[in-house]
Amino acid sequence: MGEYRKSGKGRVDHSEAVRFSFDGKSYEGLRGDTVASALMANGVHLLGRSFKYHRPRGAVGVGFEEPNALVTVRRGKGRMTPNLRATALEIYNGMEVTSQNRWPNLNFDIGAFNNTFSAFFPAGFYNKTFMWPKSFWDKVYEPFIRNMAGLGPAPTEPDPDVYASTYAHCDVLIVGAGPAGLAAAIAASKKDQRVVLVDENTELGGSLLGATGATIDGKPSEAWLAKTIKDLDKAQNVTVMTRTSAIGFYHDNFVALSERLTDHVPSLKPGQSREKLHRMRAGRVILAQGAIERPLVFNGNDRPGVMLASAAQTYINRYGVGVGKNIACFTAHDSAYQAVFDLADSNIRVAAIVDARKELAADILAQAQSRGIDVITNAVISKTGGKNRIKSIEVYSPDTGTKRQVNCDALLMSGGWTPSLHLWSHSKGSIKWDAATKVYLPDQANENCVCIGACNGDFGIKTALNAGSKAAGGRKSYKVEEADFGQGQIFDQLPNYIAPQKTKAFVDFQNDVTDKDIKLAVREGFKSIEHVKRYTTNGMATDQGKTSNLNALEIASKALGKDAPQVGLTTFRPPYTPTTFGAICGYRTDDLFEVTRKTPIDPWAESQGAVFEPVGIWRRAWYFPKPGEDMHAAVARECKATRDSLGIFDASTLGKIEVVGPDAAKFMNIMYTNPWSKLGVGACRYGLMLREDGYIYDDGVVGRLAEDRFHVTTTTGGAPRVYRHMEDYLQTEFPELEVWLTSTTEQWSVIALNGPNARKLIEPFVEGIDLSPESFPHMAVREGKICGVPTRLFRVSFSGELGFEVNVPAHFGKYVWETLFEAGQKYDITPYGTETMHVLRAEKGFIIVGQDTDGTVTPHDAGMSWIVSKKKKDFVGKRSLQRSDLVAEGRKHLIGLLTDDPNVVLEEGAQIVTDPNQPIPMDMLGHVTSSYWSEALGRSIAMALVRDGFNRMDEELYIPMPGGVNHKAKVVKPMFYDPKGERLNVL
Amino acid sequence: MSSDMKFDQGLTLPEILSGNDLKIMLLPEKVRYSLRIKPSDIAAVNKASGLKLPRKIGGSNLGKDQFVMCLGPDEWFVVANVDARDRLEKIFAKLEKSFTLSITDVSHRNICFGLMGADAVKAVNIGCPLDLSLEHFPVGKVTRTVFESAPIILTRTGEDNFGIECWRSFAPYIRGFFERYATDKAAA
Amino acid sequence: MFLIHCPHCQEDRPEIEFAYAGEAHIVRPGPEQQDAMSDAEWSEFMFIRDNVRGEHCERWWHANGCNMFFNAVRNTVSDKFIKTYKIGHKRPSASQIQKWKDAANG
Repeated sequence: MGEYRKSGKGRVDHSEAVRFSFDGKSYEGLRGDTVASALMANGVHLLGRSFKYHRPRGAVGVGFEEPNALVTVRRGKGRMTPNLRATALEIYNGMEVTSQNRWPNLNFDIGAFNNTFSAFFPAGFYNKTFMWPKSFWDKVYEPFIRNMAGLGPAPTEPDPDVYASTYAHCDVLIVGAGPAGLAAAIAASKKDQRVVLVDENTELGGSLLGATGATIDGKPSEAWLAKTIKDLDKAQNVTVMTRTSAIGFYHDNFVALSERLTDHVPSLKPGQSREKLHRMRAGRVILAQGAIERPLVFNGNDRPGVMLASAAQTYINRYGVGVGKNIACFTAHDSAYQAVFDLADSNIRVAAIVDARKELAADILAQAQSRGIDVITNAVISKTGGKNRIKSIEVYSPDTGTKRQVNCDALLMSGGWTPSLHLWSHSKGSIKWDAATKVYLPDQANENCVCIGACNGDFGIKTALNAGSKAAGGRKSYKVEEADFGQGQIFDQLPNYIAPQKTKAFVDFQNDVTDKDIKLAVREGFKSIEHVKRYTTNGMATDQGKTSNLNALEIASKALGKDAPQVGLTTFRPPYTPTTFGAICGYRTDDLFEVTRKTPIDPWAESQGAVFEPVGIWRRAWYFPKPGEDMHAAVARECKATRDSLGIFDASTLGKIEVVGPDAAKFMNIMYTNPWSKLGVGACRYGLMLREDGYIYDDGVVGRLAEDRFHVTTTTGGAPRVYRHMEDYLQTEFPELEVWLTSTTEQWSVIALNGPNARKLIEPFVEGIDLSPESFPHMAVREGKICGVPTRLFRVSFSGELGFEVNVPAHFGKYVWETLFEAGQKYDITPYGTETMHVLRAEKGFIIVGQDTDGTVTPHDAGMSWIVSKKKKDFVGKRSLQRSDLVAEGRKHLIGLLTDDPNVVLEEGAQIVTDPNQPIPMDMLGHVTSSYWSEALGRSIAMALVRDGFNRMDEELYIPMPGGVNHKAKVVKPMFYDPKGERLNVL
Repeated sequence: MSSDMKFDQGLTLPEILSGNDLKIMLLPEKVRYSLRIKPSDIAAVNKASGLKLPRKIGGSNLGKDQFVMCLGPDEWFVVANVDARDRLEKIFAKLEKSFTLSITDVSHRNICFGLMGADAVKAVNIGCPLDLSLEHFPVGKVTRTVFESAPIILTRTGEDNFGIECWRSFAPYIRGFFERYATDKAAA
Repeated sequence: MFLIHCPHCQEDRPEIEFAYAGEAHIVRPGPEQQDAMSDAEWSEFMFIRDNVRGEHCERWWHANGCNMFFNAVRNTVSDKFIKTYKIGHKRPSASQIQKWKDAANG
């Protein structure tokens, strides 16, 4: 047991020792300790080094508000978490904790030279210094900043832990389980509603854990707390969640709760989640977040051993740890006296209480005197002594000019209290300035939400309990005997005889911002607290200024000569407290990070060793390499085999929409540029869809299955947006049309068969369809059976070869594919992927929407004027096509390119110019949209969008590449193979 | 070859999903139809078909022959066992003659997970943002909604019985969440 | 994440089921009108939208719900929905919006 531990005192389990290590040294704590309380029990106050000046630092607080005591915890490979607050970190046997931001070790830190030269690190130092020359950024400034300004190191290995997430709902969510939250939960539990009570700590109680001595309803507060916890446990409608931080409050009472499940558990079970994110929707939210004590801003206030008075009080009452053996206190608020008394009553010597105020209530003074405590009013601390732990203070009385040194090994401080408005502010509740106590308080709610207790500025246990009961619809009036919470005075600055340049009074401990930095920012012209914050970095550390924001505001407003509300308050944003990426992702990691859609035939492709590519959120087979083949060789082989005999391709991802109803043709006429009324039943037509702005949106083949039924196909990636586009026009512009849309993308597996032997392959398997060219011509669709299952059989071609697209119900897709593949062996059937599909279509000059078009290409630009009806009165995009800009000369046109050197395959995206020797920036005519090696032609081919391209036929253009290479290419029509389309008619 | 051997939903469920508090199954082959009918025709269609289409969005009718659900103001979804195909298609053919409507076979578009057990609500809620208390989501309620990034149709056929219908390619994604949830539960 | 009242489903549903669909009450001109419109007038219809500070009429789509498009009045400062209503209803007047606001505030 540590020498600072008080035997039998506190809520820790004195019968259960827990061993852990800090910076490699083993320590003993008790079950229920935090790293900070256990180390303090062993007399260790030095826990870390500060961010900028590398000054030695200890814990200032006792919980999640802690700015200083950041540590790293390691627990095996990959499990390394930096920047954890030692004050909120439960110890377990075998825990490995290290300090951070120090080198080579905590007691001797090289970076501390920053402290010596701190005059060179004023506010805005980084902004001012690391400006030029530009070339210094990579090699000098950035590495320097990274080394010096580090928090803990980021983990370098993948996180082996798993995380969970869920949605949840309740009628009443109570955040914070101090007296206000507990009373609210008890009152809420008595109604027929779902109640959730969350608290970030390991146990319920809030301030009751740290401040003991009160009686509630005739019981000591500890007993009342124990009973209340039991009552809540028994209540069927109450869910209590400890170790759970409400990290963000979003619209309509949507609150994110991050629950820590295993960080305190010594041995991890495989598969168990480390943290869980509850996405909670609450009918009503009761915020009982409490208040955080404010440090005082004085010279040397950051020495290890200087801490908030309430923190010291909690260390003794909750953890049974004396923060020192001979303590002093510096305060401007009455509440600190109770803290000192609690320590004194635990046989800790009190060297002095220094009170910055001139006057002090007589009863408090009397209580101090009865304990023999020396109270010095109207005095300040002008400096502190000690290196890695405070040893002394100098007490200065400004009115008399007297100075006096007092020895101590810990210093309690209290500058008053700051209500926690974090979640209230997330919810966009308004705040108001309370001039009397110099704090911001909740004003108008923006959600069904209320702030109660200390976070509403209502201090004291009785006030909090009654407010809690009332907030939850109860009417209980609690009988409480407690020490008066008292009052305080807020000081922007404390007088000192030492010249300012020789003092260092910290406002933001974590970011090393001093009062001088804030004043400098004001002198340099920053007038809004939001700007002061960004210039000085005050409040921008991982604690988001929980202990520093209001002190900074006070100093800035005084320096500006304005009232605090005119200077503002920085905005609180989620998360309330640092949160792991794991918790934010929850279950959504690895294969669940994003949906990957796979076709029914995908497992077959995988078994054949296909290489896949993502298309939208689909994964598609890209090519099917044989042993030893690279992509080029595989694609060349697939192309040749398809043109020579037979290729098989999985086209299941094509979007499909069934358009049904008596007005189906009318609707199609509106949605597509070309006419549909005269398309016969059983016939297919290629359709081009525009947006209202006249640009190409999607395309696909459409089959008419009945007078009132169209089978529409869309591009793979375009399916969702085309469906939305159609629904939008149908519901909002043409609601009178009697037609309905149903997405059938996944109803059908689509097997595309291309090549001269396509018909021969399917003939034996097809029932009920006459496949002869006379009765089943190109661009026709028939319904029948294939391999014994129903099919919609399309005769279409995206390759220029005789082609069929076999649509079968999806769950039969793999079976039909395998059957056809087996039968196709005699035709050397070759599976091909999206790359070969692209090559074959490019050889025919067919466009890919989104590759050869980019959202600014009209049908005319794409060389497809033929598909725009001149007779239809209306279709989406019609009027825009007549806009002067869209019919102007000199637009970019889609043309073909043939390189001078047939072996050069241009890079897609490469820019095109007329003269490669012109000065930079060159006049760029356009870019290459598609480019491939064509095995059928024995040379490269390309398509490009080129300014005025249709008028440049046979012109020679250049494609300059990095490294000074200029490719020469000739403009041609984008039709490279079988221009007459004779291959479609093979018998 | 039998129909069974041709039929492949492309999905298996791991052993871990058959616990006491939570059992998740894959529904066998079903027929599914999307029905689009003018709301003014519902009464007449019901009379002519005997389908008992519910009028209210979110309503359903689970009969021994089929499960009919109302998903939108003019949209119904019919699910039945495979042997009901001929009977339903006869009814539909009759309706098509007398009414202006749209009937589309989407039997193979979807896969359906059946969830049952005391933890079924929790399992659905890991990815579905709806409040599943009986007050807000009573037995018999159906709706299109989402399960994380996957669009689904959620049905409640009992206090602890749910169905999640999704498009075929989203099923492995949804299964993945159930697996992680069950693994988590087993470890805790 | 908002709760949005779907006027078809008649219940509050999570925002994640919906998709935003731009400003409401912009009527697409019929074919004769289109022909009569100058390029400037057509561009006005095509491209120019209000950027309202305050109550804004906008379209939403209950994509993962009843699949219906509908309109909403929403305050662009507070982000709050004031009222949702079915397509086909006229653009609400300022006094109508005020009535809805009063009703919402109890």
